[in-house]
Amino acid sequence: MVNKTYSDARTFTEHKENLVTNTVSVVGREVRSGLERMAGSGCSFADARFYDEDRAQTLMLRDGNLEVNAGTLERGIGIRVLYKGAWGFAATGDLSQVSATFDRALTNARAAALLPGFPKTMGPAQPVQGKYEPPVKRDPFDVPLEEKLGLLKDVDTALADKSVAHRAVTATFQRRRVFYWNSEGTAIDRKALNTFGMILAMAPDKDGRMQRRSVELSSDGAGTRGYEWLSDPVCFAGHAERVKYELGQIVAAEPLPAGKRDLIILPGQGFLQVHETIGHALELDRILGYELSFAGGSHVRPEMVGTLRYGSDKLNCKAGVVPNSPGTFGYDDEGTPQHEYFLIKQGILVNVLSSRAGLAEANAKAGKTVVTRSGAAARSCAFYRTPIDRMTNINIDYGNDGSLDDIIAATSDGIIVDVPVSWSIGSNREHFHFGCEIAWEVRDGKRGKVYKNATYHGHTLEFWNSLDKVGAKPTWRLQQVPNCGKGEPNQIMELGHGIPVMRFANVLVGEKE
Amino acid sequence: MLETRIRELLLDARDRCAQAGINADFNFHRERSGLIRLGNSSVALSTSEELTRLDVSVQDGRRTGAYSLNADVTSREQLDAALEQAKESCRAALPKDYDPIFCTVKEPVDESRGFDPALETLSSEAKTELCSKVIKQLKPLGHYDFSGSWSSGSTEMYLVSTANRNEAYRKLTDGRLVIVLKEQDKKWELQVERTQKAANAFTPEDIVAQFRAMLPVYEKNPGYRTQIGRQRVLFGPQAVAELASLAMWSGFNGRGWEEKRTFTANLKPGDKVFSDSVSLVDDPDNTDVFSMPFDFNGFRRRRFPVVTNGLLTALCYDSGSAAKYGRQPTGHDLGNWDLCLAPGKAGAGLAAGLKLAGNALYIPHLHYIHLPDPTQGQFTGSSRFNAMLVKDGSFAAPLVSTRVTDTIPNVLSNVVAVSSKTVPVNVSSTYDRRSPEAMSMPEYLLCDNVRINDVADGF
Repeated sequence: MVNKTYSDARTFTEHKENLVTNTVSVVGREVRSGLERMAGSGCSFADARFYDEDRAQTLMLRDGNLEVNAGTLERGIGIRVLYKGAWGFAATGDLSQVSATFDRALTNARAAALLPGFPKTMGPAQPVQGKYEPPVKRDPFDVPLEEKLGLLKDVDTALADKSVAHRAVTATFQRRRVFYWNSEGTAIDRKALNTFGMILAMAPDKDGRMQRRSVELSSDGAGTRGYEWLSDPVCFAGHAERVKYELGQIVAAEPLPAGKRDLIILPGQGFLQVHETIGHALELDRILGYELSFAGGSHVRPEMVGTLRYGSDKLNCKAGVVPNSPGTFGYDDEGTPQHEYFLIKQGILVNVLSSRAGLAEANAKAGKTVVTRSGAAARSCAFYRTPIDRMTNINIDYGNDGSLDDIIAATSDGIIVDVPVSWSIGSNREHFHFGCEIAWEVRDGKRGKVYKNATYHGHTLEFWNSLDKVGAKPTWRLQQVPNCGKGEPNQIMELGHGIPVMRFANVLVGEKE
Repeated sequence: MLETRIRELLLDARDRCAQAGINADFNFHRERSGLIRLGNSSVALSTSEELTRLDVSVQDGRRTGAYSLNADVTSREQLDAALEQAKESCRAALPKDYDPIFCTVKEPVDESRGFDPALETLSSEAKTELCSKVIKQLKPLGHYDFSGSWSSGSTEMYLVSTANRNEAYRKLTDGRLVIVLKEQDKKWELQVERTQKAANAFTPEDIVAQFRAMLPVYEKNPGYRTQIGRQRVLFGPQAVAELASLAMWSGFNGRGWEEKRTFTANLKPGDKVFSDSVSLVDDPDNTDVFSMPFDFNGFRRRRFPVVTNGLLTALCYDSGSAAKYGRQPTGHDLGNWDLCLAPGKAGAGLAAGLKLAGNALYIPHLHYIHLPDPTQGQFTGSSRFNAMLVKDGSFAAPLVSTRVTDTIPNVLSNVVAVSSKTVPVNVSSTYDRRSPEAMSMPEYLLCDNVRINDVADGF
């Protein structure tokens, strides 16, 4: 809320900045003192992340009723120390306890060092002094609640129809300011701002099964991330009519027959395919076995980097830097500048998603040098969680197979699918089963009827090696993921996937008894 | 009861709101958490978090607003700031087309029986020592690597509202140890887990013995690839817990039923839904569970049967769904329930289950289970740890990753036998705040006609 004692927003912003600066300087002094003390206690590395503000707001209209109208504010500090090759972490929301929190982190690290494994080292890095802020025209937290609700209500009104049994319109906003310091002299001042939106409609089909159609706020990777994005009808509200129309098609449709057909995946589904069967599989902590008890492992082993044929020649996958994405953050949570790199190049696995401390172990296990530089993938969801290897923007490069229409024209017997309903993946990401909201038949180069209850399943490497068409640039969309779960203690992270239209040959679709 | 200083601060806020005619409730949460993560036979990470949270909700007629603070919430300044945010959200809110049910602490609650000071302060050193003993005994037996996690800590919850002067307080400790043994060449994984309500709940010898019992089948036999089709499956407790959770979500949540989104949409209480041997109850008095005595709307939670001897007994309504559809809330304004699947009549012990099964697949865990079609209760998930082929009543070979895609009604309507012994299954999540949750599940559930639709090449 704008403090009315200030005559204009700019003055207020400056005042807020001064308050932040004062707090940060106080916390920063304690942190620097703590970092020095840790170095004197035998720690080879230490860092601190002070979340001066981690704010979120979620609004949800369900069937026209404002059922979620909630804000959150998190504020505190997380401290990590590396002692004799072992990590200790501690966090507190009580800023009078910064020094004690350093002590707790050290105690934890000393305990971890009692059962040592491959000794963690951070490797060489130059100190960085950096700042990052995302492109934003209008901060959602400066937009009056009434205006936001007015926007959602308009979308809800557009969805309301006797053909729609239930509807939901959701917006979530996040704003974060994180100050980072480490014992190498790095200091980062980083802002984040995310805007998410979803439109959903549901109706029963003739068999009484509830069907759904939805759309999430997405982009072409350019543009800005503030409220202006959500309020642009082309990006959000304008999809309501399409959602309603396609829902009508789904409820009148027959179930997708089981069989082997070519599968054309739109970006609204393709992002999840990439997320689950490339992104998670290439997180180095999973590859090294540090996630086995919860999230699982990976079918990839370190020695496969550089040689494994992950997919067909048409598969080019990058950890990208996209201006308008929740997976773009400037510097990761150990101060490594974000940069773009191939993960899979012309189908060959060439890199993994990494942070600094996993590199030496990966190379040792591979028996050769397979990774040389942190992938800037050390990410933490909150001040009270430690950074782990996370996805950033895991993108598939667009190809040269033209538009969606061109790919349809080149398909004699296929299915187009869009938007996940369900996802279930093997513990090593080696196989998967996905359900989708909608499917369209493709017969003899033409898009045909709609099918409901669309599912497909397959085995990861076989599937990606069947990739035979990759759409051109106009088919590429940046899909946002606000809810990727991983880690112990559990963490929910936001990230992005830039995905073109893709076609896969001979995929098992539908459910066969 | 909650520490006096914080309690007085919250009661003062409540009373000030009441005097000002503001309907507000205050839900305080404090955790002291500690966790070690095992990876590659070492402690890869040791953490501790000391966090306080405050959720404030304000209601003005049909308008509601909420604000949560995760910071140092033990100062009046912070508390008042959160309250102002909640009031402002409420002021600007759109009114609902029904009357929301305001949070009312129905009965005073002061529940600390589940608190063990020794578990609250269980150190990383102690955890590391126990894990070291397990690893040292097992590692020489093969080409094994160990990973896992051990989370423990305390949780305090305190709820008051301006509706009356009642206070609800709960303090408990909980812990969960998971150790995964991975064969580094063949890639199979075995897992042992333990749920803790007290510091000295288990010994390293217990854990080693459980691993040793499974190792010979895995070491001596190649992975078994079963046929795709319908088969007899002996589910273990963790898999049963997954199925029971999905059943609750896709079958017995009141809102889903009202909106025809559940597989029970065409059923009413008294109708047949599962086999006679299946009874599901949300029971905070069960000794296996962590017992949530009140929900976040102030409802005093008591035993709540959902399915009795295969018949639909009742649906679960949170206060929002109850208000919208003109029902009574049932104490389910919660993320974590006390779900229990009643024991059956079959023999106790896995050996008894194996004998009954004869030839079957033993699937104790279902990994990454999801619902392609909730209105049919259709689920899909794959086997993971400890899964084995059962032949002539004995374990014969490890199963490679095997996918089950079926419906909850089909699986739970084809129950052949339910163990007469239950075990706690810890399903706690640490997304956001510490939320201890355990379920009481039979140690096995034998089902016929379960659909296997995919088999992977390896583990």
